[in-house]
Amino acid sequence: MEGHPYGYNLPISEKTKAVPWEEKVRVVEEVKSDFRYKEYIFGCLNCGVCTASCPSNRFFDYSPREIVQRFLEEDVEVLYDMMHEYIWACSQCFTCWIRCPFVNNPGGLVAIMREVAVRNAFEATKDLLKPYGRVLLKVMTTGNQLSADMLQPDFFPDWGPKMADNMENLRAKRLAIPFDVGKSVKTAWEVSLETAVEMYTIWRETGIFEMLEKLDPNLYNVIMDIVEENEERYEDLYEEEE
Amino acid sequence: MAHGHGFGHNSPGGLLRYPKEPPFPLKEYSAHYDHIFEMMEELEAKGEILIYRITEENQPVEVFTRTGRIKTIPTNKLWHHKSCGQCGNIPGYPASIFWFMNKFGLDYLNEPHQTSCTAWNYHGSGTSNPVALAAVWLRNMHQAWKTGYYPLIHCGTSFGSYKETREQLIMNKELRDAVKPILKKLGRLTEDGRIVIPQEIVHYSEWVHAMRYKMAELYQKEGKAKGIDVSKVRVAIHNACHVYKMIADDYPYDPEVYNGQRPAASAAVVKALGAQIVDYSTWYDCCGFGFRHILTEREFTRSFALQRKLKVIAEEVKADLIVTHDTGCTTTFEKNQWIGKAHGMYHPVGVMSDVMFAALACGAHPFKVVQLYWNCSNYEPLLEKMGITNWRELRKEWEDTVKYIADLEKAGKYDELMEFFKEYDLYEPYSRTSTGKPKASATANIPLFKS
Repeated sequence: MEGHPYGYNLPISEKTKAVPWEEKVRVVEEVKSDFRYKEYIFGCLNCGVCTASCPSNRFFDYSPREIVQRFLEEDVEVLYDMMHEYIWACSQCFTCWIRCPFVNNPGGLVAIMREVAVRNAFEATKDLLKPYGRVLLKVMTTGNQLSADMLQPDFFPDWGPKMADNMENLRAKRLAIPFDVGKSVKTAWEVSLETAVEMYTIWRETGIFEMLEKLDPNLYNVIMDIVEENEERYEDLYEEEE
Repeated sequence: MAHGHGFGHNSPGGLLRYPKEPPFPLKEYSAHYDHIFEMMEELEAKGEILIYRITEENQPVEVFTRTGRIKTIPTNKLWHHKSCGQCGNIPGYPASIFWFMNKFGLDYLNEPHQTSCTAWNYHGSGTSNPVALAAVWLRNMHQAWKTGYYPLIHCGTSFGSYKETREQLIMNKELRDAVKPILKKLGRLTEDGRIVIPQEIVHYSEWVHAMRYKMAELYQKEGKAKGIDVSKVRVAIHNACHVYKMIADDYPYDPEVYNGQRPAASAAVVKALGAQIVDYSTWYDCCGFGFRHILTEREFTRSFALQRKLKVIAEEVKADLIVTHDTGCTTTFEKNQWIGKAHGMYHPVGVMSDVMFAALACGAHPFKVVQLYWNCSNYEPLLEKMGITNWRELRKEWEDTVKYIADLEKAGKYDELMEFFKEYDLYEPYSRTSTGKPKASATANIPLFKS
C-alpha cells in the first residue's frame, strides 16, 4: 500500500495528486497564515501522547500527532490531502491539547483546516456536511443550534423506544416547564427578533454567509429567505415603535 | 513556576491573585494563560477595553484554578446565558439551575436578548471563523453588561469557546481591530468606544461548586425531610472536555478533590451532598460526542461511549449514576445505552448533570423540575435508591398536567389555559426582559398562546 514514509498510512488520493502544486501550497499557506497557527504549534517530540489519548484514533484512521508532524515537516501534499476527509474524524475534544508536553493544539489546527476547507468549497466537505444542513439552517437563522422539534424519533432510532414517548404532546410538555426555559419547540429559547437581526449582521460582516453559499447554494437560498424576511419584520416593528 | 509570579502575588488592578502558599501540589509546565489578566488591566488602562467587574453585589466566592490562581465566582445578580443543547434537549438541566436560584432567593435575569455562542456549529462544521465567534460572544456580553447582571454561562462549549476567544482577543490586536467595527455597527461598544470583556468567564458548574455547601444544607433540611438519602448512591464523575481541557488553566481545582489533581467542580458538590464518588480508569476520556459525530456519524459516538465509558464504568465500579457538567456528555451517555443491547453491551446507568442530581437530592420534583421523563435511559433504579419511591405517582401527576394542557389547547380553550398557568406557573421571575421592547421572536409569529 502506498503511504507516507513517516506514518501517514493513507495513500495520497488521485484527486490531490491532480491538483497543481501551487494551489496546494496556497491552501496550506492559508491555514498557516491564520493568527492562531503560531499559538497552536510549538514543537513536537513525536511522543504520541496526543494520539494515545485521542478518541477518534480508536475508531478512525486519524492521528493528531500526524497533524502536528506534517505541519512541522511542511508536507504540503499530505496536508492538502488530509484537508479533504481525514480532518473530519477529529472529535474536537482537545484531549490532545491538555496532554501535549509542548502545549501544542492539534485539535485547534484541525479547526483552522476545516474552516479553510469550507471556505475553499472542497467537494469532500460538501458531502460530509450534507446531513448537517438542518443544523446550519437552525443556527444561522435563529441563533440556536438545537431545538426540541429536531429530535424526531425517526432520525434517532438508535436512541431507543423512549424517544417516541418523549415527542408525544411535546408542545404541552414544554409549556408545562415551570421556568422560562425550553418553552419554544422550534428554538431552544425564544431569541428576540432584534437579537437575531444583530446576529445576521455579524454573519454578513464576517463572511459566514459567503461560506454557506459556497458550501451549499440551495441551503444558502433558504437561509437568506428567512433572514431577509426577519429583517423586514424587524424594520416594520421598528417603524411601528417610531 | 506555572503561575509565573510566585504565590502571594497580586496584579496592580487586583484581577490576578494567588494565595500565599500553593493550595495543592502544582504541575511544572510553561503555562502563560494567567498573564492575560494583567494584559486585560493594561488594555483597560489604554482605553481599549472595559472590564466588566464582579462586585460585592454579586456575592463573590473564591475558588482556586489549576495553577492555584484565585478565581472569583459571582453567585448573585446573574445574567443567565442559556445553552441551546440544554434547553432544546435536556430541559430539566436549566430548570434545575433556576430552581436553585429561586430556592436561594437570588436575583437573576433570564431574557431573550441572547443567541447561542454558535461554537458547537464551529466545532462541528467549521462554518464560522474567530471574528464571528468573537463578535457573537462580545454582543452577548455587552447585553449582559448593559443590564447590570453578571453573565453565567450554562453551556460547556460556550464556556470553553469564550475562554479561548477571550485569550485570542487579549493576545491579538488584529482580532480586536477586526471585531471592533462590527460591534460599533451593532451599537455594542461602550459610549467611549471600548469592548466589554468580563473579568471572569464563569460556567454554571463553577457556580454549583461555589454554592455546594448551601446545597448540602438544603439537602439536609428539605431533601432528607422527604426521605431522600444519597449516601448509598455510587457516582462516577465525567468531566466535560470543553469545560476543563479548553484553556485548561481556567477551571476550579481543589485540595478536597483528588488533592487538586483533577477538576473539582462536579465531584465537590457530589461529595458535599454525601454521595459516594467511585473512580474508574478512563475518567479523562471524552464521551464521544464529537460535535458533528453525535448528529451525523453516530456509530462513532455510540461505539466510543459504550466501549470507553459505559462498559468501563459498569465493569470497574458498578456506578448507579454518571454525573456530568455539560450538554453533550449528558446526551451522549444517556441516549446511547439502549443500542448497546444489539452488541451484548447493555450497561444501564442513570445519567444527569451535577445540578440535576443536586436538585433531586434537595427535593425537587423529578418530572416537573428535573424533567426526567425526557431521559431515554433508566433513571428509575436511581430514584428508588435515593429514596424517591413515590416516583410513579409523581410521574402520573406530571403526565396528567401535560395531558390537561394539551387537551385545553387542542380544544382552543385559551382563556382556561391562561387561568391554569396563573396558578401553576409559580416560579418568578418568569420572563423578564431588559429593554421592555415587544417580545418578537426569530421563530416568526409563534406567540406562547394563539389567542
